[in-house]
Amino acid sequence: MEPFNVRPDQLAEEMLDYSRKLGKGVENLLNSEKIDAGVTPKVEVYREDKLRLYRYEAPADIVQSSIPTLIVYALVNRPYMTDLQENRSTVSNLLATGQDIYLVDWGYPDEADRSLTMDDYINGYLDRCVDVICKRHKLDKINILGICQGGAFSLCYSSLHPDKVKNLITMVTPVDFQTPDNMLSAWVQQLDVDLLVDTLGNVPGELLNWTFLSLKPFSLTGQKYLSMVDVLEDEGKLKNFLRMEKWIFDSPDQAGETFRQFVKDFYQKNGFIEGGVNVGNRPIDLKNVTCPVLNIFAEQDHLVPPDSSRALQNLTGSKDYTELSFPGGHIGIYVSGKAQKLVPPAIGQWLDERSR
Amino acid sequence: MSESAFWNEDWMKTQQKYWKNWTDMSRKAMGLQQPLKSPLESAMEHWWQGLSPGADDMTRDFMNKMMTQTQSYFRMAEGYYSNANESENWLDAANRTVTDLQKLFSGDGDNVFGGSEATGDDALHKIMAFWEMPMDNWQRMVSSLSLMPGDLLRNMPHKDGLDRFLSAPGLGYLREEEGHYKQLTQRVVEYQQCLSEYMSFFSNLGLMSANRMKERIDGLAKDGKQVESARALYDLWVSSSEDVYGEQVMTPEYARIHGRLVNGLMALKQKHGHVIDEVLGGLNMPTRRELRTLQDRLQESRRESKAMQSEIDLLKAQMIELRTLVTSRPKTSTAKLKDAATPKKKVTIKKKATAKKA
Repeated sequence: MEPFNVRPDQLAEEMLDYSRKLGKGVENLLNSEKIDAGVTPKVEVYREDKLRLYRYEAPADIVQSSIPTLIVYALVNRPYMTDLQENRSTVSNLLATGQDIYLVDWGYPDEADRSLTMDDYINGYLDRCVDVICKRHKLDKINILGICQGGAFSLCYSSLHPDKVKNLITMVTPVDFQTPDNMLSAWVQQLDVDLLVDTLGNVPGELLNWTFLSLKPFSLTGQKYLSMVDVLEDEGKLKNFLRMEKWIFDSPDQAGETFRQFVKDFYQKNGFIEGGVNVGNRPIDLKNVTCPVLNIFAEQDHLVPPDSSRALQNLTGSKDYTELSFPGGHIGIYVSGKAQKLVPPAIGQWLDERSR
Repeated sequence: MSESAFWNEDWMKTQQKYWKNWTDMSRKAMGLQQPLKSPLESAMEHWWQGLSPGADDMTRDFMNKMMTQTQSYFRMAEGYYSNANESENWLDAANRTVTDLQKLFSGDGDNVFGGSEATGDDALHKIMAFWEMPMDNWQRMVSSLSLMPGDLLRNMPHKDGLDRFLSAPGLGYLREEEGHYKQLTQRVVEYQQCLSEYMSFFSNLGLMSANRMKERIDGLAKDGKQVESARALYDLWVSSSEDVYGEQVMTPEYARIHGRLVNGLMALKQKHGHVIDEVLGGLNMPTRRELRTLQDRLQESRRESKAMQSEIDLLKAQMIELRTLVTSRPKTSTAKLKDAATPKKKVTIKKKATAKKA
């Protein structure tokens, strides 16, 4: 059989069809309303500098768990990825399982925040958020759900403050930063991080975005837009796409001193595996993490390869370690329909079994 | 926008007429006619230029990306179409398309596309721009970090003699200032070399992708599968390119080139910042260096202040706890507690005194 079955007349029809879809789609695009993201009602319960701590409002008919869960998102991008839209909200689906959900929003650091260190974030901001929640609920410890870089921060926090963490969930969290398939890691090995941070101060979101898009430049900056023509005609799907697009390019700068330590200690020195990471003059030892741990990773993750997350298995001091493998990618784990059906219910069940 | 006559009628009519003609011709000639040069790209550009002022920033940005990809897609289809007109069967047309891609990426741009358009303006020449995407992304990022356009340094000429000039010592009263500017120029040259190295790394990958695409097509034939649309052809090209890219950027060579590029840009920006600081200092204005010192000191003070505040909060809580404990006990036992606490206090004082002496 010949591998090509494209006649010129078919080709012309295809091009015409494409143009028709594009024309109709642009009309929808121009008429589309302002894109909103972050749909579940929430109240601010604490603020400090640019940080905001939110508590999400649970549906009235849900009996909530007595132990709240704090979501710790990465400093990269914005946390509304977990609550993108009504039918694609990890937060909303966690609330539906009866969890009481809080979320740290780190805000948009500016040049004045350049000197914030990992110590400031972990032993400062994060610890104070945990204290606020503990005080509100009259508890000694709460659940923590860390995502990506926020997962690495949560591991550090749980190592330094094991008495304040009841259960720890890590999602798409890098632990072994030097697995052979880690493209990001391969690239930053030759980077002069001191020069970069000394020069730029904060690390601009544009630079981080360029790095992430460079992992798959043809798919992420090209093909994706061509594929969009098929959904442009559908206003609902178009809005979903635009929300994702807004999220991808809504990239806060990263505080320079935190970036310096994170890249050097983790990407270049592989600190969780090799040791030698100190936060606030105290060493990070994952053996101190003795609470139950649920480690969730994505099988097609191009940013945090599954093996990078799986490495956690033998590193903690926990006797109750569970893994959940999700058949999808780094972003799909929050927004895909499959993820909504699988991930939040699994987290809810796991927490319920350990929060009694 | 939907009420615009230009939008609703002119553009769509023009397009439909064009495609109708092309379809008719294709059906009649089945590749025996000379290919028409597609006006679609320029028509689309004009169409979008007419519409884009009415779009908000996000829509405009999104559509610009879409239009760029649409052009690549149309070029791929156009190239294939042209070869189909020159060929006796579709396999031959596909092979010609891939061969043209291979020729273009290996620098032999003549006689591609059936020899009909070797002017550098044909579809397959333009597909080469596809492999500029990683570079283009870099340029955009550089532009966002700088007042200069990202491609300013890309084609800046420099000669070997410049190195000698730049390494010569400065003379006279302004020798320090001259030295700064020479170092700045030196870093421009070094960054340009890194950029050139980065571009040259990508120049080979286009050819490798064309070869990979050929392998994929051969694989399809063996598996009894078919490419049934221009879109599938485009997707095959994207996945071949992405595969080759993914393999090559994981090599130590790329890590070195990538590191040099970013480090080179940072070294240049750092020197640039120093020169600006010198100028600002001369004008008695605050410099970045001074601001950063202040930021560091301020953050240190805030850190201390927050630590003290949390200690105060802890002490307050302990005080309240103690007060509650004391007030909740019978008076007699309180007195006993006081008596019991007295010697301990003395010991503490002694310890402190000893420590001070030491």
